[in-house]
Amino acid sequence: MSVFKKGTQVHVLISEQIKDVEECLITFEGFLRAAVIPASADETLRSLAAGVAKAENTADVSLRRMIDSLSGQYLPATRQDLIALATSCDRVANKCEHIAKSMVTRRVRFPEGFGDDLIEIVSLTKQQFTILEQSITLLFTQLGSFLKDHHILDEIRALESRVDVIEEKLYEKIYAMDLDVANQDRLAGMLELICDSSDIIENIADQIQIMLITRKA
Amino acid sequence: MMIYLLLAAGLFMGWSLGTNDAANAFGTAVATRVIKFRTAIIIISIMVMLGAILLGENNIDKLSSIATNNEVVASTEDVNNAIANGTLEDLRLKSALKAFIIFAAAGLTVFIMSFLKFPVSANQSITGAVIGWGLVYADYSNPEILSTNLKEMLEFASTWLINPVGAALISFVLVFLVKKFIEKRLTSMKSYDLIVKLGYLIAGAFAAFSIGQNSSASVTAFYYDATGLGANLLTSAQLTAIIGGAAICLGVLTFSKRVMMTVGSSIAEISQVDGFVVIVAMALTVLLMGEWMGIPVSTSQSVVGAVIGAGLVNGVKNVNFGVFKRIAIAWVSSPTVAGLLTYLIALATKSYFA
Repeated sequence: MSVFKKGTQVHVLISEQIKDVEECLITFEGFLRAAVIPASADETLRSLAAGVAKAENTADVSLRRMIDSLSGQYLPATRQDLIALATSCDRVANKCEHIAKSMVTRRVRFPEGFGDDLIEIVSLTKQQFTILEQSITLLFTQLGSFLKDHHILDEIRALESRVDVIEEKLYEKIYAMDLDVANQDRLAGMLELICDSSDIIENIADQIQIMLITRKA
Repeated sequence: MMIYLLLAAGLFMGWSLGTNDAANAFGTAVATRVIKFRTAIIIISIMVMLGAILLGENNIDKLSSIATNNEVVASTEDVNNAIANGTLEDLRLKSALKAFIIFAAAGLTVFIMSFLKFPVSANQSITGAVIGWGLVYADYSNPEILSTNLKEMLEFASTWLINPVGAALISFVLVFLVKKFIEKRLTSMKSYDLIVKLGYLIAGAFAAFSIGQNSSASVTAFYYDATGLGANLLTSAQLTAIIGGAAICLGVLTFSKRVMMTVGSSIAEISQVDGFVVIVAMALTVLLMGEWMGIPVSTSQSVVGAVIGAGLVNGVKNVNFGVFKRIAIAWVSSPTVAGLLTYLIALATKSYFA
């Protein structure tokens, strides 16, 4: 059994890293809930954004620990795949930190009427991430059956499509508003950033599918 | 002692086989960094020598038989006559020279065809070279010789088809079994990696063993005198195979990395599990052909057959049958070019050897 001991350790560390990214996503959701309320004070947002940055930093530390643990373990191709997977997950945390920081420093505030949809986008992204977490667990615990049936990854893609629909609706709404183009572009840019995490998670699902295909006999 | 320099052509043939065939055993594993190059060449060298020592001499009899019928190797009658006439030393020199010519012609064929980027088989070139020589020296007006030679040539030619087709069949069955029984039992990526690593190690070692059995004899067989009376350079079948095996090892140790990386990367398009199963199928085919028919076969053609067999498990549409064209070209070109070369040399040297 000793040959599998280190493999389990990598699984534990990657799970910890995923949990930290998820925590960052949850912290970001809290930030966004406050940010869409026009009455929220700048100081409150600054403090919440700092929380997001802290969560992102924790996720970064977990990523490095996980990468270190791979040293000498697994085949080179698997190591490469796992590093790519963990790094992609980390991009979700990076994105959260970047959005929170940008909204605070550039004082971007969405007008009324955007809040529910924006929260819905983050909620869908969180659901995607939860399924992603389950998929990664399957890689480490039930690879054989996961090779045969990986429809769970389609659920991630379906949620991304729902995010796309909301995103499109919000773009139309932004450019229909009585705002100058610079402001419209600023809001559209921020919306794009908020929706990016969903795309990133969908791309990770694709990465996992490629990992499965290359390991299938 | 100078006469032993004539071994050079056979040794060169062995060296060149070593540089190329090692790729069939460990190319994919080394190219995908599953196994380190140094580990691979150590395993290949040990297993090639083991294959040569334990089973290498099996193929020598068959090769000696076709070589004798084509007047490349002296028959027992020729040896006895030479002893009676006191010309055994002369016969010994001529036999070694003939072996040198055959291996040099086959080696040149492999070099020219590879340079022109044509698919080529060393073993098929050697057979072609022997037949080319026989076209000048064998008495084909004698119906008995004609029928014996034709039968042996057909037997050799049949292995060219049986080899890739057999490898495809074995590979198909193995990949099917892996899919059915092993794949679903994989619990984690760690176990997957362990299976892949062990699979490549075992498959590569087995393949190297089969290469030792298959090719060690074919690069030195014509220096061997089965009568044991000293009518050629070597009188021990096992030593003949061991020298062949050592030449192959030298090729593996000195010049196999580049070929390994090239061949390995192109085969690596199949999955890693299929990759080592294909190597096992190749090795099993080569070993069976040697044990069953006593005929050395092309390991490269076995690999192609095995890759096709693995592809067939996922359906006919997944297979590029165009690769068979390359095998067919090698079937025709390798023996034809080598045969033509030895035919011309035999004609030019008729006054000496007749």
